[in-house]
Amino acid sequence: MASMRALKSGLCTVLCMAAIACGGGGSSAGTGVGGSSSSSSGGVGSSTSSSSSSGGSSSSSSSGGGVTTGNVANVIVDQGPSNNSVNTLFTSVTVCAPGSTANCQTIDHIQVDTGSFGLRLLAPVLTTAMRAALPVETLTGGKTVAECTQFVDGFAWGPIVTADVQIAGETAKSVPIQSIGDPRYSSVPSDCSSGGGTAENTVATFGANGILGVGPFEIDQPACATSAIAACYYACATATSCTSSAVPTAMLVPNPVTRFATDNNGIIIVLPSVPAPALTVSGSLIFGIDTQTNNQSGTQTVLTVDQSAQLAMTYNGQTLANSFIDSGSNGIFFTDDSIAKCTNTLTDFYCPAMTLTLGPLSIEGMNGTMANNLTFDVGNAQTMLNAHPTFNVFPQLAGSNSNVASFDYGLAFFYGKRVAVAVEDKVTTAGTGPYIAF
Amino acid sequence: MPLSRSDEFKCAALAAVVLAAALTPRMASATLGEPEITVQNDVVRAHASIKSSQDRTGYRVHEITLPSGTSLREFVAPSGMVFAVTWQGPIRPDLRQALGRYFEPFVSAPRAKFADRRHLQVQQGDLVVQMSGHMRALFGRAYLLSAIPSGVNVGDLQ
Repeated sequence: MASMRALKSGLCTVLCMAAIACGGGGSSAGTGVGGSSSSSSGGVGSSTSSSSSSGGSSSSSSSGGGVTTGNVANVIVDQGPSNNSVNTLFTSVTVCAPGSTANCQTIDHIQVDTGSFGLRLLAPVLTTAMRAALPVETLTGGKTVAECTQFVDGFAWGPIVTADVQIAGETAKSVPIQSIGDPRYSSVPSDCSSGGGTAENTVATFGANGILGVGPFEIDQPACATSAIAACYYACATATSCTSSAVPTAMLVPNPVTRFATDNNGIIIVLPSVPAPALTVSGSLIFGIDTQTNNQSGTQTVLTVDQSAQLAMTYNGQTLANSFIDSGSNGIFFTDDSIAKCTNTLTDFYCPAMTLTLGPLSIEGMNGTMANNLTFDVGNAQTMLNAHPTFNVFPQLAGSNSNVASFDYGLAFFYGKRVAVAVEDKVTTAGTGPYIAF
Repeated sequence: MPLSRSDEFKCAALAAVVLAAALTPRMASATLGEPEITVQNDVVRAHASIKSSQDRTGYRVHEITLPSGTSLREFVAPSGMVFAVTWQGPIRPDLRQALGRYFEPFVSAPRAKFADRRHLQVQQGDLVVQMSGHMRALFGRAYLLSAIPSGVNVGDLQ
């Protein structure tokens, strides 16, 4: 090291003189909620069958979290279109050609994700006619718009199209949504794939027919409106020739809830308590907070989140600033070196000798409000999954978190609770978003 | 007047840039497993800025702020080799560049069972890649097990 520095100093002397100046220098008891869970083989409701694993389209409104009326959509935790999902929440979404109420398609098994923002559909589940009916966004000058959406485990590539979006009885007109794996946009830019991970451009690799990002922000990547950033938004001279580009905010993918005519300030997820592994669980996705009789705020704890949707959790005496509550995480992910990890193919998960009840866990919002003395259970992932090979609901599934400053409380947090997610700057009687309340 | 650490680094940085440009245009664009000098390639290629450079016990850390706002840290062993890179921010850095010859083994590694969109842990021989977070808040680190200087805790690589 010392000799390296000496070398550099020498180089500096030579080079700097010739160049520029270089001298400058466990959960609490939930309130009573609706929904149901099942450990029988019959599943929940009239149908829990999914569309084919290859991702065929579906016009069914009874599977994958069926559509209901008003501001309540059914949601379900089941095996998903890839037949191997655990703790993954799904609903159904209808997309229509802009301005049409007839040229529509309902798609089941859209993941309900409070950890992302925006609606993204896997293009292969859309009919060819529906794909053609959803216009691709076009910039001034004629280039079309596409996006490289990064998830932790990979990326999804595809154009941004506009659609009228219906969920339950709510409608949003001409909303930008992403068409992932669109066969017309078959060439993934290298600076998109350079972000690493798996290309999640098929139903099989994505594990869902789409994703409904209903997290507490309005726009997915606002920074990409002002400058061209690799692995964000792209302008395409042709469908297979795209380069990173700034794209006006109005053309970025929004949380579609914010574009509903009413009930547009956030969502509430209601799921029953799940004391043990179950085949499926069903519940409700309610739109709006304090906008209808069924979405009134009560005396819940309101925790505001930071600009990255994070808040602080304290576990084992450590305050973890990068923590978050997330319906899109399939386990409870945190660092505790005293818990045995699984081996073989489940090394991301914990495998304690017996089920542990851990805590106290406290959660502190950016507003200083605390939720204290929570506890949670951690079971042996291998034992649970072996004992229930067909089940999809595992409330005690937990694993390690490579970010030691993060406690990621996944869908298990939502079991037995009524959890509200309010969008940034939106006002409810309980406070102003972005917040999570339960 | 003696050079401060900051000045020293800036000088070294400039030297590295000039050297890289003048002598070795084919120099690997990678950082992990490469000499410290490639840190400067990152800065040049990514149009980024060096935010800080810091000596810790047993290694040195360079922190680069990328145009996306993401911070990329490169950990340099006493041998001069980059033994770890970490990042956090809204968009991942160019991992093809940051991981260099380890990028392909990383992306072609088999996926874990019951993966979700919030976690990824890959170990391929000497290489460990771990990622976590959610949209707008992506965290990750990659390191070479055999290259971690003695006495350095993996938990310090944040």
